[in-house]
Amino acid sequence: MTQETENPMTTEPSALDQLSASAFSRRKFLVGSGVVAGLAVVTAACGSDDDTDTATTDTTEAGGTDTTEAASGGGDDLAVAAFAAGLEVLAVGTYKAALDAAVGGKLGAVPDAGAEFVKTAMAHHEEHLAAWNKVLKGAGKPEVSTPDAKLKPTVDAEFAKVKDFGGAAKLAKTLEEIAAATYLSAIPSLQSKDAIKLAASIQAIDAKHVAILLYVLGEYPVPDVFAKTDKAAKP
Amino acid sequence: MTIDDRSLNELIVESQDLQVDALKDIKATLPELAEIREERRGQAINLDEINLYNANRRSVLSKMGIGGGGLAARGLLGGGFGAMLAGLFATPAHADEALDIQILQTASSLEVLAVATYGAALTLDFIKSGNPVVIKFAQTTMMQHDEHKKAFQSQTKALGGKEQTAPNAKFKPIVDAAVPTLKAPLDVVNLAETLETVATQTYLMNTTQLEDTASLRVMASVMGVETQHAAVLRAVKALLMGGAPQLIKIPIGADAAKLPAAAGSVAFPEAFEPVTNAAGADTGAVK
Repeated sequence: MTQETENPMTTEPSALDQLSASAFSRRKFLVGSGVVAGLAVVTAACGSDDDTDTATTDTTEAGGTDTTEAASGGGDDLAVAAFAAGLEVLAVGTYKAALDAAVGGKLGAVPDAGAEFVKTAMAHHEEHLAAWNKVLKGAGKPEVSTPDAKLKPTVDAEFAKVKDFGGAAKLAKTLEEIAAATYLSAIPSLQSKDAIKLAASIQAIDAKHVAILLYVLGEYPVPDVFAKTDKAAKP
Repeated sequence: MTIDDRSLNELIVESQDLQVDALKDIKATLPELAEIREERRGQAINLDEINLYNANRRSVLSKMGIGGGGLAARGLLGGGFGAMLAGLFATPAHADEALDIQILQTASSLEVLAVATYGAALTLDFIKSGNPVVIKFAQTTMMQHDEHKKAFQSQTKALGGKEQTAPNAKFKPIVDAAVPTLKAPLDVVNLAETLETVATQTYLMNTTQLEDTASLRVMASVMGVETQHAAVLRAVKALLMGGAPQLIKIPIGADAAKLPAAAGSVAFPEAFEPVTNAAGADTGAVK
């Protein structure tokens, strides 16, 4: 169960000032058409294992290109915050839909641990969303309450194909992988130390979600020597 | 305790293959760092000066709308003076470099300690004759920590520092005291979880301290793996404590239905990873 948590943004309020002040970041983040790669991962990861392998290879190449091109890219801390919030809304909505489907008996038998995971992960993403929205609100920007518009249709389409808990777990794993990779990709571009801390503290939790989902799905839970950014979503 | 050895081995081999690209990316940053090595030598550290400088530097950069040499790169500052000014503010101070080196040395020291600890655990009779999944996990995790150590050491050298090859001075005595008391798998899992948590939270804290972008990328990347080690160990600990060691198997298959509800949450008790157990940046620095 979710316990009382430490929100880095509440312990270090100076983040809001720093975020407001940083009109430009290092401009190394969120460029190119990487969203295509992100969508490809979502689609492929919900298919067969073979399909997943193929898509991973493709997006690894795309990710490598993005990493290089990002050195002259655009975006700022608040843009990252808004994009991250959109991803969190999407995650919360997807877990909510999974929970509703499970309660409605549409996923068949759901393991106790699976139900607990969905509730816990959804609560985490709600807290992540609240943290990013606090950053945005503090900087005078509108809070985000809608999911990322580019990813949502694909996620919805994949969710429509989910027929059992295993399918829901695979989709959840893909979303968590995208989230963790997106934060990892964003960290070097952020200007505010508090924004970096927030992003990294969320990346760590999302990576944990991935590990447990991998285990439940029968895969090795820590498959990578180094966390990768090839599945990172871009606005 | 059961295991599908073939499936597990295939998964591990597959995951190791997938690392080739990631390792290439990280190694690719090293030549770039080596180029600036001569002009960015480490100096004696004054943390107050470093903090003051960085605060001022970030403030100036922010007000000017400069990030990482972005203005010069975009041609918004014309002429030699503009390039010089942008370069001055975009380049971290030598003191930054020294702190970055300390951080990387400390990270290396934690990895050295982790490798040694998993190595010691694998010599214990109750581990050697125990659950094959636990053995595979210890072996694989030890290998991953060894790769992390090499990455941190390479980054240290690329920044002009001396690589750390010794275990962390603060935590080694703790591990040394614990090893003789390890009498059962749960003891080992507890110790390993502690080390992984310290590493995760240390690297998380480091992401807010590093000025060198390539080092920051490596740090965050490794943090993302240590946190997964910690999550798995927490789950394994819960299964051991709950009297369900038979559920520690890969692939778990239909037995996933037998996992207790707590298995879905015990690995991540917080919504945000804290830094309360982070090691100080200087605890593993080369003296």
